[in-house]
Amino acid sequence: MAVHSITVKQILSRIRQVFPDVPETYVMNLINDALVEAGMYNSKVVHAKMSTAANQMWYDLKDAAKDSSNNVLEVNKIFRVYFMDNDGDYILIPRLIDKDLLLTDVSSESALQAPDSR
Amino acid sequence: MASNIKYPENSCRWFIDGDSFCLITNVDSSGGANTTARKNWKAIQEAVTDGILLYYYAEPNNVSALSDVPDIDNSLHLALVDYVKKCLYMDKAGKSGDPNVSTVSSNMSMAHKQKWDEAIKRFGMKKRDKTGGMRAILPPDLT
Repeated sequence: MAVHSITVKQILSRIRQVFPDVPETYVMNLINDALVEAGMYNSKVVHAKMSTAANQMWYDLKDAAKDSSNNVLEVNKIFRVYFMDNDGDYILIPRLIDKDLLLTDVSSESALQAPDSR
Repeated sequence: MASNIKYPENSCRWFIDGDSFCLITNVDSSGGANTTARKNWKAIQEAVTDGILLYYYAEPNNVSALSDVPDIDNSLHLALVDYVKKCLYMDKAGKSGDPNVSTVSSNMSMAHKQKWDEAIKRFGMKKRDKTGGMRAILPPDLT
């Protein structure tokens, strides 16, 4: 039993019921715009692994950021993080709501030489 | 490779700032305490391969061919039709020299926008929620 899903061609045919002359490239661009917007909500949940680097506090999450196997992460919103303990098991770690945490030592940023958007 | 941190739930914290993920700890590379009265939290002191496991909402893959199936749950596929119609009707409203056509197209665009918003933003998560069964609460063991 297969799940019913529709292809781009089927979407295009539904659109052309109302707009018979619409170019397929334009419709495809609009579908991609819609997918970007849908990605901001709970439409695709993914999990991935990242490696830590000694004395590195910040890790990149831009569109091109990659996981530890060099796959693109494509993160929109992180909602859960686990860290590997000394047995090799992943343990849930808490998120801080207050980013301006007092008593934090950011000496890991001492290597910063130029403005960095990371 | 395991880390040297025995209790990550106590020793690690994370937060997001813009496009950056921040991981801080209060232990050193051997897992020993690494805090002073003024410096409670620091960057992690060790390199751990695959040390972080993230769960997140990701960008769906784009479509590039007519045979592609959009990379979101099939219950949301019809909403894509609404999104495209919303845009095309708005284009038509902007291009038309006839005020009546323009008004009707604008109204149609709003109708499809409403359907898109309901499907994706308002009820998307609830309708697609795959949670079922009895609910139970697992309180922490305080003993």
